[in-house]
Amino acid sequence: MGNAILKDLDAYEIQQYQQNRYPCFFLDYVEEAIPGERAKGYKNFTFNEWYFPSHFADEPNVPGFIQIETLTQMFLMTFLTIPENKGKKTGFVSVNNARFYKKIIPGKKLEIEANLKSYNRGLAKGTSIGYIDGEKACSIELTVVIPDVFNKFLPSK
Amino acid sequence: MTNLEKYKKVFMDSLSISENELTEKLVYNSIETWDSVGHMGLIAALEEVFEIELDTDDIIDFSSYKKGFGILGKYNIEL
Repeated sequence: MGNAILKDLDAYEIQQYQQNRYPCFFLDYVEEAIPGERAKGYKNFTFNEWYFPSHFADEPNVPGFIQIETLTQMFLMTFLTIPENKGKKTGFVSVNNARFYKKIIPGKKLEIEANLKSYNRGLAKGTSIGYIDGEKACSIELTVVIPDVFNKFLPSK
Repeated sequence: MTNLEKYKKVFMDSLSISENELTEKLVYNSIETWDSVGHMGLIAALEEVFEIELDTDDIIDFSSYKKGFGILGKYNIEL
């Protein structure tokens, strides 16, 4: 789309583009984001994460819904980095074909690659894939909406 | 394929409906598949098939199968 490629965004900088915040913010670093195309970066899961004591005390691992949210937040960086979308709220429309290939335990780094298949009038479709130690760990296909943009194009009834 | 046949096919494919459902009663939100997301898919498909870009006001106004006839007419597409 001709927008500048973004590189090396830390957690504070990522939060300028999306409104997810602790304890529901799950990205540590975005290595590269090409607005309107793709984004890649990672999340480090340390034993201090708030959900490990409860999931599970004797076998801590990252809950599936948090894997989905983590993959999604990287996907958001493919289109919230388009200048007019920066900082807008988003909502799920659908998550399809969620796959969990590996158990993610404390100490592991999830490297994520998200690709935007289409973005039109506030509706974004694409994929996001996570890797642990170079092997696929989880993946989703998803559709996300920016209500502020999308709702402007809907019939009144 | 005529423009009318293309128009009908877009509706049937985008909204997963049969030809006998293409009536004056087919309006936005009258069936499950023509919801907000379905609307965007329908508009995108029409734009692709007819190689046009609808104005925002026309996308909002595109609230029924029948209304589409007049709206596409504005883009010199006669059905």
